Parts: sequence; C-alpha cells; structure tokens
Amino acid sequence: MTDSAPIIEVCDVSKLFRLQQQRGESTIKALVVDALRGHGKTRDFWALRDVSLAVQRGETVGIIGANGAGKSTLLSLISQTTQPTSGTIATRGKVSSLLELGAGFHPDLTGRENVFLYGAIMGLNRRQMEEKFDQIVAFAELAEWIDEPVKHYSSGMYVRLAFSVAVEVDPDILIIDEVLAVGDASFQRKCIARIDAFKKAGKTLLVVSHDLNTIHTISDQLILMDKGKIIAAGDPDAVVAEYQWLSRESASTAETKEWGTGEMKIKAAHFLDAEGNHAEELLRGQPLHIEIDYEAASRIEAPVFGFAIHTTSGILVYGNNTQIEEYDIPSVEGQGKVTLDFGAVELLAGAYLFSFSVHSQDHQTNYHRLDNAHPITVRSDRRYEGVCHMDVKWGLGS
Amino acid sequence: MLRLFKEIYAFRDLLWILVGRNLKIRYKRSALGFLWTFLNPVFMIIIYSIFLRILKTYDPSNPVYLQMIVVGIVVWQFLAMCVGDSLHAVVGNASLVKKTTFPRIILPLSTVLANLVNFLLTLPIVGLFLVIVRADCGNLLLLPLFILTQFALCLGVSLILSGMNLFFRDTEHLMNAVMLAWFFLTPIIYGFYMIPVSFQRLALLNPMCGIVTGYRAALIGTDLMAPRLVAVSLAMSWLILMLGVSLFQRWQVDFGDKL
Repeated sequence: MTDSAPIIEVCDVSKLFRLQQQRGESTIKALVVDALRGHGKTRDFWALRDVSLAVQRGETVGIIGANGAGKSTLLSLISQTTQPTSGTIATRGKVSSLLELGAGFHPDLTGRENVFLYGAIMGLNRRQMEEKFDQIVAFAELAEWIDEPVKHYSSGMYVRLAFSVAVEVDPDILIIDEVLAVGDASFQRKCIARIDAFKKAGKTLLVVSHDLNTIHTISDQLILMDKGKIIAAGDPDAVVAEYQWLSRESASTAETKEWGTGEMKIKAAHFLDAEGNHAEELLRGQPLHIEIDYEAASRIEAPVFGFAIHTTSGILVYGNNTQIEEYDIPSVEGQGKVTLDFGAVELLAGAYLFSFSVHSQDHQTNYHRLDNAHPITVRSDRRYEGVCHMDVKWGLGS
Repeated sequence: MLRLFKEIYAFRDLLWILVGRNLKIRYKRSALGFLWTFLNPVFMIIIYSIFLRILKTYDPSNPVYLQMIVVGIVVWQFLAMCVGDSLHAVVGNASLVKKTTFPRIILPLSTVLANLVNFLLTLPIVGLFLVIVRADCGNLLLLPLFILTQFALCLGVSLILSGMNLFFRDTEHLMNAVMLAWFFLTPIIYGFYMIPVSFQRLALLNPMCGIVTGYRAALIGTDLMAPRLVAVSLAMSWLILMLGVSLFQRWQVDFGDKL
C-alpha cells in the first residue's frame, strides 16, 4: 500500500435491485402460487451500472444528480452496508457515514447511550468516547436533551447529534448523504466550518447534496450521476454547468403547458444575445433581447403581453407585462412581432424557465399562454447566493 | 471460524453495549424493572405447585415431579426467550444494519447473551426453591457443561431465525406453532422416563431433550438414563450452532438490501 493509492476505489460496480411487483389481488391462491415459486412477480432495476471511481486521500468529492440517479446507492455500497451485485469496492481506513439522515440510532436509547453505541461501532472504546463526549454534545447543542430517548428528538436535533458524533469519532473517510439540508441555517454554517476543519486535517470526504451552492463550495471534484451511471466527473464548475444543462432539458419536457382561447397565438420566442446570436446560455449581467412572434386570426383590441421567469423548482423569480409597464398596444391583426429587452439579466447561476402570455386588458380572456416553455441557463462569474443579483456596495463607516 | 472470533473480539465493546441495551429495554417503563427477572420464576413455581396439586396430573409415584417440572420450565424459558428475541434481532435493528458496518452476528449474539444473563439470574431462585423443598442435589459440576451446550443451541437457533425472518417474514408466525410442538416433544412437563422405550432413541435427536435431562441430573440428581444417547443429543446442539453460523454468514451480505 503506497501513499498514492486511492483511499476509495470503486471498480466497475453494478447494483441490481429486484423489486416486488404489487399484486393485483391478494388471494390465498395467489399467495400459495407465489410461495411455491419462491417469490411474487419481480422487476429488475439496475440502480448502478458499471460505476468506477477513485478518490485520493484528502480529497473532497461531491456527488450530484436527480433523484433516483443512484447517489445514495453508491454511498451505501462504499459504506459497505450493502454489497454490489458485481464489481469491487475498496476503502482504506475508518469510514464514518451519515446515510439517509442519521447514524444508526436506536429510538429507545438516550442520546448519551446512542453516542456510545455509535462509538463502539466505529471501534472506539469507552474511555476514548468519554474523552470526546462533551465535545460531541456541545457541538450538537443538546446538553439538556442528551439523557432523553432520541425518539423524542426533533429531526433537526437528531441530525445535529448524528453529524456531531460521525465527525468526532475521527474517521479517515466521512460520508454524508444529504444531511446538511435538515439543520437550521446557523447549524449548517457550523457544519460547513467543521467540514472545512476536517478537510484541513487531510481527511477524505464524500458528500451527496441537492444544495448545489454548498457542494460546489466544499468539493475539490464533483461527480454527476444520471440513471445509475457517472456521466461527468472532475472540475466542479464544469460539472455543475453540465448538471444544470441536464436539469434544464428535463424541466423543459416535464412542465411545459400551453393553453388559451386561441384567438391569438404566440408562435415563437427567440432569445438573442448582444451580438444577435441565438442564446440558450448566458452570463449573469449580460443583456438579452427576446423577439416574440404572434399571429392573430382576427383583429384583437388592446392585447397585453407578459412574461414570467421561474426556477426549475417552480419559484417565481420575476414577472412583468405591457400593462404594468404602461406600454399600450392599440390593436393587432395577422402576424407580427413584440420585442422584449433586458438591459442586464441579473439572475444567478442556474437553470430558469420563461413563460409568455397574451391576454385581454381586463384579464378576463387568456388568448394564449406558454408556461415554462423556454429554458435558459445562466452562468455566473461570482459565487453569489440566491437567485438574483442586486447592486450593492460595501464600505467602512467613518 | 477463527476470523469470526477475531471480528467479534474487535467489536466486543459494541457487543456489551447491545447486551446491556437488550437487558435494559426489556424492563423499561416497568416500576419493578430488573426485579421481574426474579419475580417471574417465583410466580411460576408458586402457580405450578398449586395447579399440579389441584389437577392431580402428576405422577404420584414420583416424589420429585414438581422439582422436575420447575427445572424443565426454567430451562425451556431460556430457549423460548431467545427464539422470541431472535426474530427481531436483525429486523428490529434496521437503522443500525442499513447505516453502519460491523459484524452482523453481533446482533443475535447480543440477544442470546442478554437472555443467558437473565437465565443465570433465575438459577439462584430455582436453587432456593430446591433447598426449601429439600431436593436431592445432583452433580453440580456438570451444570456448566449443560449451560454452555444450551447456549450453543440457543445461539444456533437464533442465528437461523434472525436471518430467516428477514427473507421470509412468515417465520415469526410459523414459530408459534413450532415452539408449541417443540415444547410438548421435549420432556418438560413430563420426565424422560415416561417416553416409551422405543421412542427414546428418536427423542434424543431433539437437542433440548438431552439438555433438560442433563440439567435435571445436575440439579436434582435424577437418573441420566442413557448417558450415551444424552451425549448424542448434546452434540446436536453444537451441530445446530455450526449450521447457524454458516447460514447466517452466508445470508448477512444481503441484509442491507432486504431491510
């Protein structure tokens, strides 16, 4: 074993789940037939397919991907709580893992008892755990609760204790599955600071999270998974961009909706950058020019055009229309074009969906609406937090 | 086998914590708590001595009939408790099995050890009863042999059941019937000498048969009857332990997926 050998090595690993099909009817006959066959109808599902991965000592690797991509399965295989169907997994050193929100706590035991139980699983003896105990409780901020059974804990308290004990048992490899999402903001900051200290100590970290910002900040390397395969790995910026591209595509097929009376139609919307090129992806702060083609079968008096921007998770970021802007369009007929200019798109990095609409002035008649029809990806040169940029200035008071 | 011992030894702290937990959880929320370990056999002895007298079911020619039954029941309880707990030893610890790594054999081992502690604590009560009724003392030196053999049997059975219940949840319900049949097939509420001679050979294939007969010989000095057949019966216990270990080790790799 040399120093340059990877601390985690995953070779061509696949994992098959045999899912029990739901029975239509649960008759005694069906039960007997199933029992004779050994099991009911099953469906094979490959949660992982030929996954290979090497993590070096001291590296922090983040894993991102949509739900069901196989992230958690991969982590549980590396933690060796489940075995791969094929392929090999080798880890060097003590692995501490926080899988699916929590260390293996027993609900009937008190926080104190669970801390010692976890310590014993991690191979620490009672004296070693006693030395660490106060620190664990202090970090979890649970001094008053530590002698209560953990089943009375809130989910936040549970995760705090789990994180605290998993870090303090001094593992070589720490595996965290979507744990940071549960605690409150102040605890999350504490966790990140603790993770940084853990990284500085030269330890290895493997993290799964849907929080792109956090995972992007802490990871040296990101891995993007989709449908049981690794589809991108390496530089965090590049992998995050790839992921946003992927989720943009799936979002655009999933949520698009079109409706309205049809007296008037939005035929197309063209997104153009400053140079007049077609723009699907742009940098924060750049201008954007949108041309909306419409067609009105008959003459329409005083139509109102509008647009809205949503995040892929459905949060409305911004909406505006010609009526609010007091831009009156007396009437339209036949084919035509409406233009919409953004001086600067002040959205932060991520995928967004544009919706367009045209309706009557009193909002009683929707001529046509295209919801979430136009996806766009924004990149950002700085790591701001949130969805939009605001012009601010920092200064020192005199 | 040696590797397994080493693994268990490396996780001995975990084993003791789990044994302690199993003992603690049994009496959690009961006012008398640990005292029940002593009270249960006391009540049992009182109830049996009353009803055996009223129902006159016992063998009047045998003056030690009540003593035989008390020993038999206490010994049977050890196995019955192990079987009951083993069904949940793995299934009931899903969060540990799914989220942490340690030799899974620790789980059923800890439930059997906890029950062994319970059993050892009831022995003084039985001893007190035997002194009060002025029972003859048997060869007490043999007692450790039977305790160890029964421990092997209980562990073997627990390993098989704890794994089996995960893949085949009906095990739990099936065991009610199996345990009832096993109870009557074992000389607990009757003596080994009451089994027809032609069936005695067959009866001693039942490991509990040799164990109960052995305990009686050690505690109240009853006749071992056929020492060689008793030896066969004891050997069955150790065979079951080996079978249990090999099955459990083969099954345990899939535990994480089945939970």
